[in-house]
Amino acid sequence: MVALVIALALFFDFTNGFHDTANAMATPIATGAIKPKTAVALAAVLNLVGAFLSTEVAKTISGGLIREGSDGIHITPDIIFAGLMGAILWNMITWLKGLPSSSSHALFGGLIGAAVVGIGLHSINFETVLQKVILPAVFAPLIAGAVAYLCTRLAYALTSRHDPETGDKLTQKRGGFRTGQIFTSSLVALAHGTNDAQKTMGIITLVLIAAGTQAPGSGPQFWVVAACALAIAIGTYAGGWRIIRTMGSGLTEVKPAQGFSAETSTASAILASSHLGFALSTTQVASGSVIGSGLGRKGTSVRWGTAGKIALGWLFTLPASAIVGGLTALLVNIGVVGVVIAAVVGSAAVVFMFVASRKSHVGHHNAVEVEEAGHAVKFSKKKKSRKSVNNKDVQR
Amino acid sequence: MKWLELLQVAGVTLVAAVTLVVLYSLGVRLTAIAGDAQQKSPGLVRSLAAVCFGICGLAVLFGIYLIVPYFGK
Repeated sequence: MVALVIALALFFDFTNGFHDTANAMATPIATGAIKPKTAVALAAVLNLVGAFLSTEVAKTISGGLIREGSDGIHITPDIIFAGLMGAILWNMITWLKGLPSSSSHALFGGLIGAAVVGIGLHSINFETVLQKVILPAVFAPLIAGAVAYLCTRLAYALTSRHDPETGDKLTQKRGGFRTGQIFTSSLVALAHGTNDAQKTMGIITLVLIAAGTQAPGSGPQFWVVAACALAIAIGTYAGGWRIIRTMGSGLTEVKPAQGFSAETSTASAILASSHLGFALSTTQVASGSVIGSGLGRKGTSVRWGTAGKIALGWLFTLPASAIVGGLTALLVNIGVVGVVIAAVVGSAAVVFMFVASRKSHVGHHNAVEVEEAGHAVKFSKKKKSRKSVNNKDVQR
Repeated sequence: MKWLELLQVAGVTLVAAVTLVVLYSLGVRLTAIAGDAQQKSPGLVRSLAAVCFGICGLAVLFGIYLIVPYFGK
């Protein structure tokens, strides 16, 4: 059972990786700052590095969400198994739909559902749920969006150039932002590694402690750190092209200066939150930033329909994965047969969704329609080869 | 509730992001000015731009330095 849970946890880490590649790499791919394949490779390496950099988050994962200890409630590997099942399935569904949804919320949801069914309603600390999940979900996009809005305005204001005599617009020369995007998106990928890989480490450590093979209160062991880092890196490299498409071109048209601002805000928000103890979801921060930066640039329109769909997806994340987690917990309670059924049904569902995804293949070649001008970093003349006719701004 | 922490996170995010974006934008702007034909001292402006990018990079490195516990000990 312990081995099964660890395998499942690593698979969750993998889905987390390819689900969240978009957060870091959607905007630079959309503006043509980095080629898609290079982008995911870069993100993978940085996720790996990030996972090793800090294991602070792993130590506090899911702490207090489920009442442990004093009431004599123990989280068993069974419950974690069920919780992971819920999280993975929801991650796969949202990926199929191309929705950027929070992997952490899926994980929390699955664990909550499993704990409610496996132990009972009293096992959930609802105040902590509100504090750790609901409130951050509301504020993460707001904070990130507001900061990204401000940054985009600033970036454009500072680099807008007019002829002093005629007042005509000069060549704006904002190509530098495209280079900058490489660094900012790397920073986001790094932040993701220091943040999200930790969650799986925390889970595996929790299982090992529950199984009695590790002393309570100790940090993750080295092989756990290494395995999780690898799993998330491989997942990132696999690339969640569907979600990259949504984030990169579904929400708003992204221009380099705008992408730069969005990524800077995302990275700052994630790093600040994970190290000041008010955990925000990477995905929600990133989506908020993209929308905020879209609002900040003149002449862009934010596609609120897509934004609404994403928000709806967030609303469902917790309950949906909780339900799957709960159902799995029911199965597991039956005994060994139940565990086998759950594992088989779970893998079947994953395979099914993978097959379904093949029908409308979204790969690195068609994830985002990159503007042709986007490739020319060294362009110095006015760019006229823009594809996006619908956006009327004369700024560039 | 952890309103204070929320505020703290929002504040730090704002300060960090704005600092980086302003510095980088200045760098981009100065690079653009240095490229202008009528500019008298492109070398000076260009080095100013480099300073902006430099400080921006340092700010990022400092941020990373702050979050890695290994250095914090």
